[in-house]
Amino acid sequence: MNPAVGLFAFIAVSIATAVIGFYGLRISRTTGDFYVASRTVPPWWNASAIGGEYLSAASFLGVAGLILLSGTDALWFPIGYTAGYLMLLLFVAAPLRRSGAYTIPDFTEARLDSKLVRRVTSLVVVAVGWLYIVPQLHGAALTIRITTGLPSWVGSTAVVLVVCLTVVAGGMRSITFVQAFQYWLKLTALAVPVVFVLLVLAGNGTQPQAALPVNPTSQAAAGAYQHISLLVALLFGTLGLPHVLVRFYTNPDGQSARRTTLIVLGLLSVFYLFPTVSGALGRMFAPELAQSGQADALVLLLPGKLVGGTAGDLLSALVVAGAFAAFLSTTSGLVVSLSGVISQDLFGGSVRGFRLAAVLAAVVPLGFAFMTDTLALAGSVGLVFAFTASTICPVLLLGIWWRGLTDAGAIAGMLTGALLCGGAMVVGTLMGPANAPAWLAQPAAWSVPAAFAVTVAVSMVTKNRVPASVNRVMSRLHVPERPVVTER
Amino acid sequence: MTRVRVTAPRQSATAAPGRLPYPREVPEDSDAGRVFIRSLIRSQLRLALVVACGFLVILTVLALILVYGPGVAETRVLGIPLVWLVLGVGIYPVIGLSAWLYTRAAARNEARYRDLVEDK
Repeated sequence: MNPAVGLFAFIAVSIATAVIGFYGLRISRTTGDFYVASRTVPPWWNASAIGGEYLSAASFLGVAGLILLSGTDALWFPIGYTAGYLMLLLFVAAPLRRSGAYTIPDFTEARLDSKLVRRVTSLVVVAVGWLYIVPQLHGAALTIRITTGLPSWVGSTAVVLVVCLTVVAGGMRSITFVQAFQYWLKLTALAVPVVFVLLVLAGNGTQPQAALPVNPTSQAAAGAYQHISLLVALLFGTLGLPHVLVRFYTNPDGQSARRTTLIVLGLLSVFYLFPTVSGALGRMFAPELAQSGQADALVLLLPGKLVGGTAGDLLSALVVAGAFAAFLSTTSGLVVSLSGVISQDLFGGSVRGFRLAAVLAAVVPLGFAFMTDTLALAGSVGLVFAFTASTICPVLLLGIWWRGLTDAGAIAGMLTGALLCGGAMVVGTLMGPANAPAWLAQPAAWSVPAAFAVTVAVSMVTKNRVPASVNRVMSRLHVPERPVVTER
Repeated sequence: MTRVRVTAPRQSATAAPGRLPYPREVPEDSDAGRVFIRSLIRSQLRLALVVACGFLVILTVLALILVYGPGVAETRVLGIPLVWLVLGVGIYPVIGLSAWLYTRAAARNEARYRDLVEDK
């Protein structure tokens, strides 16, 4: 591929992001603006923004790469990513919006009336966020290396720089505009090349090199345990993702939070058609990418390979732009929510503290990204979902729906989940993906139930610690807001 | 008789302009209010669980049919293997439909709660 194409696409996306960011700067003034865009973003904008933020490197590059490698087994990834939003809609969306809290630690502190719970939740949230930013930076490194031939670190460093600049300058208001723009950019960047490739293939009657059901490498089919564990992780991990939750606070009320989620589900369903088609095309027309270990770059290389010429270059530029939109939007979403958490706990919640925290939130995972190597993107993001499902999900679900939850139970549950799932991740990584048994590689199926069980058991034992405010908080979470009342 | 609206001090957030932050017509310290709120929460939880379980059952049955159904692995529609069509396209409308039904039913539960409170 022409190196200038990749570079041009990256610079164009960065400038567009920065311009929208600075445009937003003029509107955001107060601390409230900075955090949650004052809760006045209309549902369509908000849904596009949620979609833009959620569709990360794993969705944009990883899903197609994994489908290339393992076929129908990988189709469960986008299903899980989407159905996770269904769970979020069912159990979390409206109550969380009504809680009036900005971040997950705000929520747990208000619900359980305990500073210590807040501290522990903050730690977990920051860990989740950092773990999740690392694969985005790996994706950026891979994209820059493959499309321009520059060293890997350029890609990840550039993403961190652009994110820091936009977040520090504009806060969440501009981030909402940027994210909404990036959903549509990502959709276009995947859909247009796929349609073009299909037209070209149909036009010149190219014969497939391999059959769709045959795996290009000798990758073994996943067993029932892996499927179940993956679905548990994705279904219950989504509702604890910090950058997804903070997005719901920009809805004016609980009902509109539900409406927004419904639109998000539609947007995600449409989006995932295209990585699926790309992956299927890759299996039939470019199986050698899997054999040479470049599966994650399938989406980037497909137009150049199957269309070629100037048209191929233009389509490649579009895909690279979309890929960077994915890294930038997910990373900035995570950085915004992490800096919300870090600044409130460390810097007293001022705008200056928020900016400092933003830099801190982005630079630490950059260090991690330098030290670690690119795994399969969809797989490493899947592990982050497992970690979230084992730590934040039980506290959130039980906190919203069960009066009996206590601070001791919440802390015990989060620590158990973090130790079990984190331990399995560390041991599994040390053993290497080839040697780790399925139950270590995919811990969610046992670590999530264990975390739930510990949370419930410890809460039952410490019944006397149920906060006095429980009735007030529960009704705040569940009672519908009234429409605007003028005369009372 | 003058009506007093009781609002809890908000922890950290500011209200969106023009909206009442929280409904406080039924303070939760009255017995009737507590009963209403409990039944609202219970009906919302039941609804969410029913939809979630329904969706998971559909998903499981589909997966079992795709793996064990006789002849399913070889079935093709318009040249595309059925497994790919179902997992790649067919499941998404099921997700969307579940979400839409839930949203409507949840709003109806809330409307019923409001009616109860206003009748009082």
